[in-house]
Amino acid sequence: MKNDPELYKKICEYLGCDLDSEPCQQIKEFLTECPGCRVYVDKLKKTVNVYKTADNCDEIPAKVCTELFVSLNLDDQIGSDPKNDR
Amino acid sequence: MDPKPPFDEEKIVARAQQGDRQALAQLVIEYRSRIYHLGLRLTGNEQDAEDILQEAFLIMVKKIHQFKGDSSFYTWLYRIAVNIGLRKLKSKPRKYQHISLDDPDMEHISTAETAEWPDFDYSQISQKPFRKKLDQLIEKLPDIYRTVFILRDLHEISTEDTSKILQITPSNTKIRLMRARNFLKEELEKIIAKEGLT
Repeated sequence: MKNDPELYKKICEYLGCDLDSEPCQQIKEFLTECPGCRVYVDKLKKTVNVYKTADNCDEIPAKVCTELFVSLNLDDQIGSDPKNDR
Repeated sequence: MDPKPPFDEEKIVARAQQGDRQALAQLVIEYRSRIYHLGLRLTGNEQDAEDILQEAFLIMVKKIHQFKGDSSFYTWLYRIAVNIGLRKLKSKPRKYQHISLDDPDMEHISTAETAEWPDFDYSQISQKPFRKKLDQLIEKLPDIYRTVFILRDLHEISTEDTSKILQITPSNTKIRLMRARNFLKEELEKIIAKEGLT
């Protein structure tokens, strides 16, 4: 059963879901019998987390926010912008 | 200091459609960071991200009266921004050659995936040299895969809404996401093997 390619394909298909979703949780149980698969999923999760962490490091510059309001002719609303809290 | 009032999107959109400037500003404040990040990851370029941000919100202000509420407001806005971003990418020469993405070889995984990665020190990820490598990897992804990865994994948008934004089927979204994740994992693995994590 461990080497059933159809089963692995199904696992692969499920990997397109949220990794914490219920189907993936069920697959996780199966993966305990397949150390290689467990390692693979762990690496996918870490890859996504690395990118999420990196993405959170970029802040939108305050200057860009101000210019956006100006370009939208919403300069009278800049005062309501928390980024403009000075 | 007063707590931030709850963001009642439906009401704010309705007010914005009536030309309420304060409501328009609230929508801009709510979504600008996400749209900027989307543009930044999609194009890998701050100037392009700013252009996408401005163009997307200009269209929003101009066409918000046409928004019928058939989908959520953010799906509508994301679709505008993604289309601008993809158009921008098409108009520029690619930094990297197109690569062909295959499905992961599941038979191979069962036997070859034995070496675990160490636990990541996520605080190191903010350091520029490593960030640059991550950016280079994501830029190698063909646009159609990169977009799905950004929407699903970085912006945590559901498969259903991602499909609506990109106007593709949910199955297609899942396949593209699987291939994108697998590619990035394989490439990250090469970096880790060669240079370690930081």
